[in-house]
Amino acid sequence: MKFVFFHLMPYPFLPDDFDESYPSPSLTFPSKYFDRELGNRLYHRYLDELENAEKLGFDGIAVNEHHQSAYGLMPSPNIMAAALARRTERAQIMVLGNAIGIRGNPLRVAEEIAMLDHLSNGRVVSGFVRGIGWEYFASGVNPTRSRDRFNEAHDLIIKAWTADEPFQWISSNYEYRYVNLWPRPVQEPHPPIYIPGAGSTETMKFVAEHGHTYMSVYAPTPLVRRWFDGHRQAVEELGIDHDPVKSAFSVPIYVAETDEKAHREGRQHIEWLFHRGLKQSFPQVYPPGYMSPGSMRGMLMSGMKPYTETSYEELLAGGYAVVGSPETVTARLTELQAQLGFGQLIGLFSIGDITSDEMNRSMELFANQVMPALRPLGVANRVTAAS
Amino acid sequence: MTTSEAGQGVSGPPTEGFLEVPGGRVHMFRGGAGAPVLFLHAAGGAGRWHEFHELLSRRFEVFAPDHPGFGGSDGFPELEGVDDLVFHYLDVIEALGLERPHVVGASFGGWVAAELAVARPDAIGSLTLLGPAGLRLPEHPVADLFLMTPEQVVGALFKDPARATALFPGEPGIDDVLAAYRDMTALARFSWHPFLSNPKLERRLHRITARTLVACPADDRVIPVRHGARYAELIPQARFSQVDDCGHAMYFERPGDFAAVVTEFLAKVEAGTQQSGASR
Repeated sequence: MKFVFFHLMPYPFLPDDFDESYPSPSLTFPSKYFDRELGNRLYHRYLDELENAEKLGFDGIAVNEHHQSAYGLMPSPNIMAAALARRTERAQIMVLGNAIGIRGNPLRVAEEIAMLDHLSNGRVVSGFVRGIGWEYFASGVNPTRSRDRFNEAHDLIIKAWTADEPFQWISSNYEYRYVNLWPRPVQEPHPPIYIPGAGSTETMKFVAEHGHTYMSVYAPTPLVRRWFDGHRQAVEELGIDHDPVKSAFSVPIYVAETDEKAHREGRQHIEWLFHRGLKQSFPQVYPPGYMSPGSMRGMLMSGMKPYTETSYEELLAGGYAVVGSPETVTARLTELQAQLGFGQLIGLFSIGDITSDEMNRSMELFANQVMPALRPLGVANRVTAAS
Repeated sequence: MTTSEAGQGVSGPPTEGFLEVPGGRVHMFRGGAGAPVLFLHAAGGAGRWHEFHELLSRRFEVFAPDHPGFGGSDGFPELEGVDDLVFHYLDVIEALGLERPHVVGASFGGWVAAELAVARPDAIGSLTLLGPAGLRLPEHPVADLFLMTPEQVVGALFKDPARATALFPGEPGIDDVLAAYRDMTALARFSWHPFLSNPKLERRLHRITARTLVACPADDRVIPVRHGARYAELIPQARFSQVDDCGHAMYFERPGDFAAVVTEFLAKVEAGTQQSGASR
C-alpha cells in the first residue's frame, strides 16, 4: 500500500449564520469573510502539516486546485508544490491536480510541472482534473467544452513534455504554431499522471489506455467499487495486468486513542467537510454540458443523495469517511481495501475545522499504528511487499 | 409528417415532423394558413406547440422549429455559436421553400432573429423581437439562469409564479431532468461566453431593413426591459411596446396578449406589403 497525505487547505472560519444565509462556501460566498491574519496563519500551518507528513512516513504529499471558495485555498496548486519542493526530500509531491479544463493556456501547466520536477529532483506527480462545476462560472470557460478542452490539453501537455523538436498544435480548442518546451521534466518520459473518476466510462477507458492512475472522489462504497472495477476491467481489456497502486482511494480519516474520543472530536470536522465545505446547488456542481448525457443519467439513477443531506452516521457507514481508534480504522480500511482492491490510499487528515493538535495526533496515530498494518495490502503479486 | 410534407402548405391543426437540413434533422411544428411566420423559441419551450402558436396560426402559417440541440432536434454538435445558427436558419428557410418569412423570436430566439436580420436583411419579411437577449449592457445585467435551481428559475421567469404551477404540474422524472439538461446544454454552448450576447451586435443593428417590432414584458426580471428598448433605438424605425403584468416567461404567462401584439403588427406589415404591390 502506498500512502498519500492529501490537503484541501480549507478556510474553516465561517460566520455564525453561514448555514442559513449562504447557499455554498463557493463562487458567491463573499471574500470579506476571509480574515487576512487568520488566513495567513492557515497557509503556514497547512504547509507545516504537509512537510510533517513526509517525516511520518507518507509516500506522497498532495495538493489540489480550487477557485473562489472557502472549501479550498489553493487557486494555484503549483505554488504550493513549489513551496514544498525544496523543504522535503523523499516524498512524492503530488499536484492532484491542475484543473486543465479551465486553464487558458495548458502549456503554462506543462512548463510549471516541468520546473517543479527539477525543484523536487524528479518527485512530481501530475494530476489533471476538469475543475468542479462552479469553477466554470468562476473562469468564464464554457462547460460544454469541458471534456474536449481536458482531453486536448492532456494530449498537448504530454506531447510538449516528450517531443524532441518544436511542433505545431492545432485542435478545436487550442492553436499553437510553436511548441518547444524549456525545460523538459526530469522524469522520463514524463511525471506520472493521476486522474479522478466519478463513474464516467469514458474516463475509465481514457485512464486505462494511457496507463495513468485512477483516483476516486467522495462517494458511497458500492459506487466506488463500480468505478474501480470498471477501470480495472478497462485495463485488463487492453491485455495488461492491473497494478493495484493505479487505483487510488480518496477518503477523509480521523484517528484518536479510542472510538468514543474519535467520534466525539471527529464528528464536527467530518460534518464541516460534507455539510458546509461541500454545500452546493445542483447547477453549481453540474453546469450545463459538464456531464455527458450518459454520465448524467447514471448519476441520477445512482440515487446518491447530496452530501449535505447525508448524516454523519451515513457518511461513516457508506465509506465516505473513516473515523475511530487505530484498531477500528485499521479494520475498516482493511475491509474497504478487500472490497475495492486499491493499492494507494489518499487520506485527507486535515479535515474541515479540525485543530492543529487534533490533526497532528490523528496523523501520528495513523502513521505509527495503522500504516504498518496496511502496508502489505494492495500490492501486485509480482512485486514484493518490500518495494 | 414526413420530410417531404414539411415543405408543403397545410392548414388546420398543427403537424409535427422533421426537416432535413445540412448537419441533421430539425424537429418542427407547423400550423395554420396565411403568410409564413418563422418562430424562434426562447431557452425554454422547445418541443411544444403552445397556446401562443395556436393563436398566431389563426391568421398566419406558423413554422416552429426546435433550435439545434433543443427539444426534438438533433444535436448539430458542429454549430458552436449564434453566427452558426444564422446560417442554420438560412438553411431552414431554404429547405422550407419560404420567401421572406416574418421572423418572430423570443428571448434567446430573439437574439438569433436579430442576428439573422443583420446578416441577411433581404431574406426576411419583418422582424419581431420578444424580450430579446443578445445585447451586452453591463449596467443592466441579465439574470444568470445557469446558476439557478428550478424553483429559482420559475420565480425569476414569472410575474406570478402561481401561473407556472398550472403549466408544469407534478415532480419531474429522470427523463424530464435529462431533457431540460440537454436544452440548457445547447443554450450554454451558444451563449455561456460572452454571456447571452454578441458584443458586436449593437453596432450592426443599423443594417436591418425589415419593419421591426420589439415587445417586452413589463416585469421582466431576467432580461431588463432596457435591452428591448436599446434594440428599438438602434434598429431603424423599430416600434417598441410593452405587455403589462407579465414576466420574462412572456408567451407562457400571457399567451393571449403576446399573440395579439404580434398578430396586430404582422397584419399591418402584410397590409402595407399588399398596398405597395410587393409580394413575398
